[in-house]
Amino acid sequence: MTRRDRLVLIGIVLLAVLAGGWLLVVSPERKQAVAEQAQMESANQQLQSAQTQAATARAAKLRYTAAYSTVVSLGKAVPPSEEVPSLIYELNQASHQRNVNFNSITTGASGGAAGVGAAKAGSAAAAAAPAGFTQMPFTFVFKGTFKGLAHLLGEIQGFAVRTTTGGLLVSGRLLSIQGVDIALESGGGVSAGGAGAGAKGAGASSAASSNVPLTATITATAYVLPASQGLTGGATPIGPSGAPSTVAGGSAGSTTTPAVVRVAP
Amino acid sequence: MKAVNLIPPEQRSGGSVGARSEGAVFAVLGLLAGLAVLTLLYGVAHHQLSSRRAEAATLSARAQQVQEQAAALAPYTSFVALREQRLQAIAQLIGSRFDWAGSLGELSRVLPSDVALSTLAGTVGSTTAGTSSSSSSFSSSARAAATSSSASSAAAAATPISSATPPGAAPSFTLSGCAASQAVVAQTLVRLRLISGVSDVTLQSSTESGSGGGGGGSGSCPGGDPVFTVQASFQPLPTPLATSTEKLESTVATSAGQGAYSAVASTTAGGGR
Repeated sequence: MTRRDRLVLIGIVLLAVLAGGWLLVVSPERKQAVAEQAQMESANQQLQSAQTQAATARAAKLRYTAAYSTVVSLGKAVPPSEEVPSLIYELNQASHQRNVNFNSITTGASGGAAGVGAAKAGSAAAAAAPAGFTQMPFTFVFKGTFKGLAHLLGEIQGFAVRTTTGGLLVSGRLLSIQGVDIALESGGGVSAGGAGAGAKGAGASSAASSNVPLTATITATAYVLPASQGLTGGATPIGPSGAPSTVAGGSAGSTTTPAVVRVAP
Repeated sequence: MKAVNLIPPEQRSGGSVGARSEGAVFAVLGLLAGLAVLTLLYGVAHHQLSSRRAEAATLSARAQQVQEQAAALAPYTSFVALREQRLQAIAQLIGSRFDWAGSLGELSRVLPSDVALSTLAGTVGSTTAGTSSSSSSFSSSARAAATSSSASSAAAAATPISSATPPGAAPSFTLSGCAASQAVVAQTLVRLRLISGVSDVTLQSSTESGSGGGGGGSGSCPGGDPVFTVQASFQPLPTPLATSTEKLESTVATSAGQGAYSAVASTTAGGGR
């Protein structure tokens, strides 16, 4: 073996040793470092996500009082239970304001053709009511003048309205009127209302100036919150159900208190 | 003075150390240098690995801590979500209603003075607009209206219903009464089109009382005046536009009626409903 051959052999062995060291020791460590970098980025993303959640939760906590007030206010429009007495009271108040006689209220749609059609629509809608609201069809009968009845309809729908600024104004029960059947009070129809028909403009045409008594059968639907939610979902003015402050306050697990809605602001 | 090499000439052939060791020195030096580089690279990688592991552990711990904080406040988030859900649902229900008062008010203004109504039936979602065949002679668009009404009703039925008065449902008024003459009936048809939102007006019948018809009512009008039945179809209820919850929330308010409501509700709280 010449000297040149010996040097070449030494170089090969040297490169082999260094390559082995790289492959067996350094390279795995570098791969682990790269993997750890990805893990670190993942943890960083988790942290950012958690921080976002926490910020949202803190903001929700700050808004809790206003949110609670809103939910309670909305409970007037859609209460947690049927609240038929309060509905009757509201309708009675509204009809008195319009000089209309509140004649009857019937649970369920039992009016004429309008009522039947509306009842079908209502029953179809019951399955997909928004936010799980339960629908309660009613049939109301009012007696009064055309003008009074028209204004009464506005009053009823004004229990819950959108304001011009886009907000909600709630002063009573949310009602969706599906049908209105107005007839002469003496029984409806031309023959029964011969006297009324004989006078031109006895009906709607001159309603603004006439005092012909009319009977209005209104088919409407009220809404009730799902029983599983209650008015506030178990929340109290102190805090929501399960919140740390509520637990500390000893209010955890308290049942829904519909009485909360009766607290006047 | 001249330097003199005292090593015997036969022993001078060794030359350099490398030459004398026949390359072993280079091998050792190369090996050492290579090992030093490898050690350096390994150290750098190991340092990165350690620091990244520590940082990942720290981040994970912080993330868990923050998550626990968020979880502790989750009921607040859920409650706010509940409020938003109800706001949107109620706004949607309100937005999908028909303006009965406004339409009746307009009706009273547009009807001719020599027309007397005996009945007025208003419905939302009625599909009876296309059932009258006698209307075509008076309303050129009656058939088209009937078709479009049926189509809209079908569309309303196909779309998910979210309200008792769902978007897409077409309100309609069916008016029956007496008019001074057939010309007044025609005038009534024209006037009814002036009501906001009316898409079509269809005459179902107009029969003079003495002629034995009477599709518009069960009896007759005085003096043999025509008895008519007219249907005014409105445009389908629009789909409420989505409104930001902030906008809804910012103006949620209750009016003065709440006190009275509260009083009644309080009385019902203890009793059965």
